[in-house]
Amino acid sequence: MNSYRYDEIDIGKEEEFDVVVTGEMLDAFGIITGDVNPLHTDADYAGSKGYKGRVAYGMLTASFLSTLAGVYLPGKYSLIQSTEIKFAEPVYIGDRLNIKGEVTEKNDTYKLIFLKVTIRNGSGKKVCRGKMQIQVAED
Amino acid sequence: MTREKLFEEITEIFRDVFDDDSLVIVDETNADDIEDWDSLEHINLVVAMEKRFNMKFNIKEVGELKNVGEMADLILSKMA
Repeated sequence: MNSYRYDEIDIGKEEEFDVVVTGEMLDAFGIITGDVNPLHTDADYAGSKGYKGRVAYGMLTASFLSTLAGVYLPGKYSLIQSTEIKFAEPVYIGDRLNIKGEVTEKNDTYKLIFLKVTIRNGSGKKVCRGKMQIQVAED
Repeated sequence: MTREKLFEEITEIFRDVFDDDSLVIVDETNADDIEDWDSLEHINLVVAMEKRFNMKFNIKEVGELKNVGEMADLILSKMA
């Protein structure tokens, strides 16, 4: 886990990691949230709507932004204040996602970093994009 | 900048942060007057004002402000 302090982070700094979406992740997310919409649970139903399989919950994809902030940028001292996200393309079981954040702005008064975040699938297509506002906590 | 002009700009910032074009901001306006004015939006207001007026505050001075009028006075004192 990274543990960047506010002063160690410059505008332009980037961090990224990859994760493969599994059926077990979708199942677990469905149990935790109670979202039993068949688009996420029933491959036949999803196919009838024009998708090539069970569609991953958008909020599951977005949940990796928690990891981006809490483990990578800034890591240990992360306090997420807000997240704005857009879901551009569907994500499927087996997709390898690349989750990336870049610092676009800082605020010294509150020790905030502002990230531009993008999540791409294995083909390089942007499936999710957005912004995060994160406070870098002191001891 | 005149205080009147400053209030126009502050009002614009409030309307933008709270996404509410009907907000009317006066000297006495404080967090009790705007339902969504919580600690997070307070941070967002201060950050927006720092950007708009190209100045930096410190936590202590913004923590002591009781209303928007005092914020306006602080901004004017930093512009002087």
